[in-house]
Amino acid sequence: MIYDIRHITTYRYAAPVASAACVLRLLPRDEAGQTVLDSGLEISPRAAETHSSIDAFGNRVAQVRIDAPHRELRIAALSRISVNRAAAPAPGLTPAWEQIRSAAQVSRSLQPDSPAHFLYASRQVALNADATSWCGASFKPSRPMLEAAVELMGRIRRDFKYEKDATEVTTTVAEAFASRKGVCQDFAHVMIAGLRGLGLPAAYVSGYIRTIPPPGKPRLEGADASHAWVSVWCGPEFGWLGLDPTNDQMIGDDHVVVARGRDYADVSPVDGVFVGSGDHDLSVSVDVKPEG
Amino acid sequence: MAAEPNHNARSPRGERTQRRQLEDWAGGYSPMTGIPDEFMDSAGAVRPHWRKFMAGLSRIEPDEMAQRFAGADRRIREMGISYRVPGEAAERTWPLERLPLVISDDDWREISAGVEQRARLAEAFLGDVYGAGDLVSEGALPAAALTGSRDYLPAMRGIEPPGGKHLRFFACDIGRGPDGRWWVLEKRAQAPSGAGYALENRLVISGAFPQLYRDMNVERLAPFFRDFRDGLSSSAERTNPRICLLTPGPYSQTYFEQAYLARYLGFMLVEGDDLVVRDGIVFVRTIAGLKRADVLWRRVDADWCDPLEFNAASRIGVPGLMQAIRNKSVAVGNMPGAGLMESRALMGFAPAHCARLLDEDLRLPNIATWWCGQSDARRVVIERLDELVIASAFGDTLPALGGKRHVLGADLDGAQKRALIEAIESRGIDFVGQEVVRLSTMPVLRDGRLQPRPFSLRVFAAATPDGWRVMPGGFCRVSDAADARAISMEGEASSADVWIATDRPVEISTLLPARESVRVVRMMGNLPSRAADNLFWLGRYLERAEATARVVRCLAIRSVDLDAPGSGARAAVERLQKMLLSSGAAPADLAGAQAQVIAAIALTDGDQYGSVAANVGMARRAASVIRERLSQDATRLVSTLEDCVSRTHDSMGAALDAATRADEALGVMAALGGLVNENMNRVAGWSFLDMGRRIERAVNTCRFVRQFSERDATSEHLDVLLDLIDSQITYRSRYVVGPALAAVRDMAVLDPFNPRSVSFQIARVDEHLASLPNLRPDGMPEQPRRISIKLAAELATRDADELDPANALAIEQRIMGLAEAVTARYFLQGAGAARAEKPTGFA
Repeated sequence: MIYDIRHITTYRYAAPVASAACVLRLLPRDEAGQTVLDSGLEISPRAAETHSSIDAFGNRVAQVRIDAPHRELRIAALSRISVNRAAAPAPGLTPAWEQIRSAAQVSRSLQPDSPAHFLYASRQVALNADATSWCGASFKPSRPMLEAAVELMGRIRRDFKYEKDATEVTTTVAEAFASRKGVCQDFAHVMIAGLRGLGLPAAYVSGYIRTIPPPGKPRLEGADASHAWVSVWCGPEFGWLGLDPTNDQMIGDDHVVVARGRDYADVSPVDGVFVGSGDHDLSVSVDVKPEG
Repeated sequence: MAAEPNHNARSPRGERTQRRQLEDWAGGYSPMTGIPDEFMDSAGAVRPHWRKFMAGLSRIEPDEMAQRFAGADRRIREMGISYRVPGEAAERTWPLERLPLVISDDDWREISAGVEQRARLAEAFLGDVYGAGDLVSEGALPAAALTGSRDYLPAMRGIEPPGGKHLRFFACDIGRGPDGRWWVLEKRAQAPSGAGYALENRLVISGAFPQLYRDMNVERLAPFFRDFRDGLSSSAERTNPRICLLTPGPYSQTYFEQAYLARYLGFMLVEGDDLVVRDGIVFVRTIAGLKRADVLWRRVDADWCDPLEFNAASRIGVPGLMQAIRNKSVAVGNMPGAGLMESRALMGFAPAHCARLLDEDLRLPNIATWWCGQSDARRVVIERLDELVIASAFGDTLPALGGKRHVLGADLDGAQKRALIEAIESRGIDFVGQEVVRLSTMPVLRDGRLQPRPFSLRVFAAATPDGWRVMPGGFCRVSDAADARAISMEGEASSADVWIATDRPVEISTLLPARESVRVVRMMGNLPSRAADNLFWLGRYLERAEATARVVRCLAIRSVDLDAPGSGARAAVERLQKMLLSSGAAPADLAGAQAQVIAAIALTDGDQYGSVAANVGMARRAASVIRERLSQDATRLVSTLEDCVSRTHDSMGAALDAATRADEALGVMAALGGLVNENMNRVAGWSFLDMGRRIERAVNTCRFVRQFSERDATSEHLDVLLDLIDSQITYRSRYVVGPALAAVRDMAVLDPFNPRSVSFQIARVDEHLASLPNLRPDGMPEQPRRISIKLAAELATRDADELDPANALAIEQRIMGLAEAVTARYFLQGAGAARAEKPTGFA
């Protein structure tokens, strides 16, 4: 499947901003299962300096500095990407979760995909005893890793209520878990906290999911949104597998990965420092258009 | 005991008295059983180097001793040595032991060789884990023993440190173990603190015992700092590099030390806001534009040092710093990521890593430590739980440790033990088990008697062009608890100077260069914009406080006898009250209150943003962030001023009236003004302080003129105005008649000879601006100067008759415009950096 993706972020300021320094993680990564055919950033006002690199987790990052005073900053990320993922393994074939835990502890890798990076509490995922024990109910002794993780994903989908304004970007795992409410970011953070609490490596993935319009209705442009899910390490043989607790499904050709990290803070699409005062207003529009 | 010449006491104490004193000290001293002590060996004999020290000490008469201790206390207060406990706004003064920790030459050789080896090992280790990664890939270190540390920075992998080293400054906390050998308790590699305090402690204690200090041949500290500075210099790309100490700011626990070291070493003290990265190069914002920063001595934790790569919420970092490091344009000591050395998870691996990386045996042993991420270690720890300390592997507090960083296995009850074992079995990676180590003791003086107290010693090492150099001495912390397993300055702990006593004469050196190589320099380096900004505001706050105090005094005095016949007194008093209410010095709902009440609140209530107390508080805060640029006398006067306006009763307990207190405060302000004018070097810093005062005074004078010199102003009004601008005497000496409108206006605004007039202030501001660097390539005056020249010319050609309130307001607004132009040109652009809101459009 080939997608054309347009992700536009616009800041409007009440008072002019003198300068801005931003980090953008908006361009999808190349990895097994997806190939970036074309991609680019359009920023206005024009950046005085742009520096593109690959970060420690293999994500595409751009640091930009804007010197021109402005009242509006518009960042458009445009990508064309081909997605063709291998089928997920049969859950029962993956190793027992306790084996995964031991393997992660003795990992000899510091590469971007090493399970060792994803074992501990991180900036936005504190370990939480309640979340751990709730998630732990799916991890019966010797149960195959993926089987337990898939069950956990289903329980999150069932027991948590999707509510757009219930949480914010900075909502903690404890808050989201206690209220059993939130959006994709919260569900992913809760699941990650539970898995890590059990000693299992879990990563945060940002990206997009193709939305299928209701029957008979046309696709609405810009109505899509950024999405987030969880990647679970299933041992050296099976590697990392994506699970989407918001939709209770394994990652397939409807998902496009943008960035991977330990939690939202590692992959946040736009971070930055603005020199100026006064309020601002932010709007984001995302459009994921399948070709043909 | 060697017979030594005695230069200390006026009359030498009798040999017998001395001997009795020595016996008293030694006889009353009993080390704790089973714990090694510095003063006495296990057989109860005083160690030779301490015997020599105590002999010297016993020659000092008790009275004289008391005097010297009092002198030391005074010195600590005068130097303003302080530290901050997290969560407290005020700094604390420094608790310093009277006696130094004396260490013998032999011991020192072992310690210094051991710490030097640890520094080399740490550098080699960091080079490997952020470089080739052999330790991990070859199985000598599980990756998870690194990644649990918040200072293992994946972003650092593959970055070669500019200048070739991750570490420039390193420290080990050591103590004497039960076997009598020195052990390493902790390592410090993020941004080791304490070296500046050690230096201060040395100044105080060597000053108290100068003769003893010489006789003991104590190793000097200055050469170490000189070598450290050379090491930092040599890490830069340019010769004569600009070295900056990057501080988290005045709320950091050790800000005093940072400011002190910056001054001592001649580094520029900068905060994140002072630095800016352009095209991968770090610059300091100064009043003369952007100047390149070559080397940063980093005292900001790595996680906070670049909001674009690490903690996005950081306000104290430098956006783009990591980019500059990758670009190799700035050397940073220590490199971000070095703090990882501090985690306990790594301790157990040190002997194997030392053999592997250096091909040497570890000289100073570690406390035996098992990281529970490995199954063998986990088994040992669970089996021996009762004998061990269980600690957090990476320094966090953990629920399984009762919300603490470590517990003693033996202190846990059955249920707690089971819960801990369960936690270790599921997430062993979070825990280490360690042998219980009790700190060895050293003698301290308490009520004239010697007593043993546990201590730990921080020993510093600096990377120099000729390898690592260890500071001969250290930062010794002494606990007042008998059984100390860990000491922090936050608890009840004091510090002590550390003397390395040698048998040979020591190298005497200071940080001052050789006399003949000093070139005369009259101008200091470029003033950082933030320092200029704070000096400017210090001036403005002080002047604002003064103007408000004058209004208060005037109100308090004039409201006493309101109904005197034929006076416009009531109207004048009402207007004074209104000024205080509208300037926020007193709450608006006090409008109908008694004048004395309003005056008292406007003076002392720090919660009213326009009060004298609030402005003095702001002045003190501005002064505290530029401490390294103000004299101690000036800092002290600001504190005196704060005491003075916040006091409501005198020392006898009688209530003070507002007029008396306002008088007193104005007296202190006058002293401060005099001190600044007489003692502060006439460089850019002084210009900004003085410009702040002048601009504020000009603005306030315009306000007074608007209120009290309208066309129909009474003589009472004009009289108030003369009071407020402190020009009564000048006026009376010049005019025999009572206050007349045009004459008073002229004196307040236009008279170039009256040092309180607006025109006088503008003339001084114009002189300051003329002396500051000009950045325009065409040599034309910059914006602030353009305004000041025009304003000065206009004031010089105005007539007093034209100065009605509307005209005064126009002048006031132009002065405000001048202040804005100064801010825009010399200080930071904008009030501060605002952070981007996070996108919230998530599915």
